Amino acid sequence: MANRVDPPLSKPRRIAPPLMGCALLAITLASTAQAQSAPPSHAKIELIADEAAASKTTTWVGLLFHLDPGWHIYWQNAGDSGTPPKVAWQLPAGYRAGAIRWPQPVRLGSGSVIDYGYENQVLLMALIERAANSAAAAAVSDAALPVGADVKYVVCREVCIPGKAHLTLSLPAAGGDPPAEASKWHALFQQTRAQLPKAAPVSWKVSATADKDHLILSVRGAPPIKSAMFFPLETAQIENSAPQAFASTEDGFRLMLQKSDQLVQPIPTLRGLIVLGPGKAFEIAAPVAR
Amino acid sequence: MKEKTKKWLASAIVAAMAVLVVLSVARAARVGDRAPDFTATDSNGKTQRLSDYQGKFVVLEWTNRGCPYTLKQYTSGNMQRLQHEWTSKGVVWLTVVSSAPGKQGYVTAPEENSYLKQVNATPTAVLLDPDGSLGHLYDAKTTPHMFIINPQGVLIYNGAIDDRPTTDVADVNGAKNYVSTALDEAMSGKPVSVATSRPYGCSVKYPN
Repeated sequence: MANRVDPPLSKPRRIAPPLMGCALLAITLASTAQAQSAPPSHAKIELIADEAAASKTTTWVGLLFHLDPGWHIYWQNAGDSGTPPKVAWQLPAGYRAGAIRWPQPVRLGSGSVIDYGYENQVLLMALIERAANSAAAAAVSDAALPVGADVKYVVCREVCIPGKAHLTLSLPAAGGDPPAEASKWHALFQQTRAQLPKAAPVSWKVSATADKDHLILSVRGAPPIKSAMFFPLETAQIENSAPQAFASTEDGFRLMLQKSDQLVQPIPTLRGLIVLGPGKAFEIAAPVAR
Repeated sequence: MKEKTKKWLASAIVAAMAVLVVLSVARAARVGDRAPDFTATDSNGKTQRLSDYQGKFVVLEWTNRGCPYTLKQYTSGNMQRLQHEWTSKGVVWLTVVSSAPGKQGYVTAPEENSYLKQVNATPTAVLLDPDGSLGHLYDAKTTPHMFIINPQGVLIYNGAIDDRPTTDVADVNGAKNYVSTALDEAMSGKPVSVATSRPYGCSVKYPN
């Protein structure tokens, strides 16, 4: 039977209310009706694990955000406004957490301010790895593996509310390799992994050119498609709100991207995702010819 | 004839729409270009024109008093400090409120004036831009979003207030303030080392 490694939804672990200092200041200074005596957080976060017990070498954990309808958090490139959530992991000596694996984001907002992020529910997962030949880690692996996460985030709808949370999880020792059985979250981890951006197909030849106002991204060696959308990995390179003109070419497609007002230096590489549809996001790094 | 007029009208409308589309995607305020001139009304009912300040450095600061990224700068007193420091060195500091009526940060002139007193803020003027036209002219994205115009009327900075994109008041100390750095450099005849950055903050609450 899978061990319970997470708190039930009705009783989330300690989730701090939005930064009280700011909330209080808002009450003091705001003359409009924005201030509320106990502002709701609009985001609940759980720290969850893929497996019911920590394996000897690697373990997937994740921050599961439950967002109120209409509210969002941000992708690693937040776009025009907002900032991505940040996590500081606390792990025993000999363990380290890898970077967050960001799922495919959606475009948010309207008009001249466009952001990239997530609505409803999103799992931000990271791989915890045990250093090989670590005596300290070996000692821990015989007992439970404690995982801590300090999370800072900003959740927005019309307005933005900063929040932070300290979350903990204790993974029972697996006592064996290969790892123990799945937790009740395994299906969600599987599903999220399947939807993560993937390396671009090997047949794709990706390149870019720049003119005064545009970056033109070109993919050759791709089967005919009808539309594509580019999500830049770096901030302030393209004008997020500008239309991305799509054109089919003989052996692929082209996207004309407007440069950001903040882009004044040439960039050697244009990095980001080319999204062809839900679950079809591809990581690209296009050298930019000058 | 009537048919011809109809056709002409239709093509004129299409052409006008095309112009609108082109305008809407034109880059608004690019560093190194002439800063777009504007006329706006401040919170004292006075008309403010950018061209009136030829010969001076002008800072534009987009603000929204309800936004946590803005509050970080005002709770810490940092924005007030910057306003005081630079206006006493002859810089014109124009704070801009582009929140639409009914949206977060919208203020009437008297509300803004009492707020300035309350938080001890001393910009040269606060421009009220409830229809968002000044915001769109500069393509202001966030609060805060900072612009600097040099005495020749050229935009020399477009971006963030500093290099710590957070809402934490504690991050003000130790941050590299891009506005002060750019003004210091420009005033001593040096090129601005960081002339653009991603502005960080809440979205400007433009009318729908």
